[in-house]
Amino acid sequence: MFTQFFGSYLLNKQIVSAENLQKAIDLKSSTRVKLGVLAINAGYMTAKQVDAVHKMQATVDKRIGDIAVEMGYLTPAQVTQLLSAQKTGCLVLGQALVDMGCLTNEEFEKALNSYKAEHHLDDEDFVAESTQKTGAVIGSFYDIADKKTDNSELIFEYVNILFKNLIRFIGDDFTPLSAADTSGCKTALVQKISGGFEAVTSIMADDAALTAFASRYAEEELTENDEYTKDVVSEFLNLSNGLFTVNVSNSVGKELKLSPQQVQDAADVTAIKAKYTLRVPVSFPFGTVIFSIAEL
Amino acid sequence: MSTSVSQAKVLICDDSMMIRKKMRMLLENYGITNIYEAKDGKDAVEKFAEVMPDITFMDIVMPEMSGVEALKAIKATTPKANIVMATSIGTEGNLTEAIKYGASDFLQKPVEEERLVKLLDHYFKEV
Repeated sequence: MFTQFFGSYLLNKQIVSAENLQKAIDLKSSTRVKLGVLAINAGYMTAKQVDAVHKMQATVDKRIGDIAVEMGYLTPAQVTQLLSAQKTGCLVLGQALVDMGCLTNEEFEKALNSYKAEHHLDDEDFVAESTQKTGAVIGSFYDIADKKTDNSELIFEYVNILFKNLIRFIGDDFTPLSAADTSGCKTALVQKISGGFEAVTSIMADDAALTAFASRYAEEELTENDEYTKDVVSEFLNLSNGLFTVNVSNSVGKELKLSPQQVQDAADVTAIKAKYTLRVPVSFPFGTVIFSIAEL
Repeated sequence: MSTSVSQAKVLICDDSMMIRKKMRMLLENYGITNIYEAKDGKDAVEKFAEVMPDITFMDIVMPEMSGVEALKAIKATTPKANIVMATSIGTEGNLTEAIKYGASDFLQKPVEEERLVKLLDHYFKEV
């Protein structure tokens, strides 16, 4: 999940454009993280040193690691350690952007370090993706704690589970956005939560994005926003909400209830008067899907 | 169970067309051919009485009547019914309630084929 939020971070700080970010996400599967990026991430080398090693490599026929050792930037043990280190999603995304020429090593170094510092993240966090840390990133991204809700913990958990389910069932090639534009949305799939936490949850998107989202979840090629497409999207909502209620039941012992899902006009759902509404727009290659939770 | 796989009747109760379709595929992969569907809790009770299935898969969150209510109604008339709750909302409260009313098993959604096969093996191979 940190990878997706690193993408959002790069977008929000205007370090990369939405178009280039999407291209880099598409390139992730064919991108190999190189020693330079690994050394920058570990703090063993600065971006300037990596650039110097690359410059040197253009003149001699040696491996990057050997050159870095010869130049005194790395020890052989560090090279071995880096090469066996886990190539987390943020590094793959960063490497893809560096390979595309959208980021210099120095810009990547700066962006990664400030992203880590802002969210108090270290390498272990990137591997473990603990609920507490992902919850904190989600919380600061959406500024949930400052808003008028006594249930910010539940809302963190809701979004956390939603993102995990997106990664598991739809794909990891998305970027959470901060501003939601609901103008193109006609249909909303809606499900109410009750039993000590009253909320209306929904998924909305324009017809094309909704159909593409359903195609991925159903693992079938769907072509229009018909009854079956709506059924598939509402089943995703039911699944994610179901797993949320199980988690809440296990963690705080609260037994929440879910109502059967409904198809509604998106305009009626955006007009719901709630104590607090969180909209979570998520950009996929096929369009933007907006998830909402409105606490009544 | 004395019924063989090829003769067994299975009822899928779920309001989602997609889930019914996926479950049907998994059951067919297992060799079950007599598959019936119900789209809500009320429909489930009616179809059960009509078909008298060997195994019933029951979602919990459904319109008209919830899966737990349907379970209660079916068990009241057919105490021997084999009803497996298949749901994503497997909270302790829901499970305790379902067991109290006589559910024979629980299947977490999304349904994994491996888990379903194990469950069906349990029914068909344990004579």
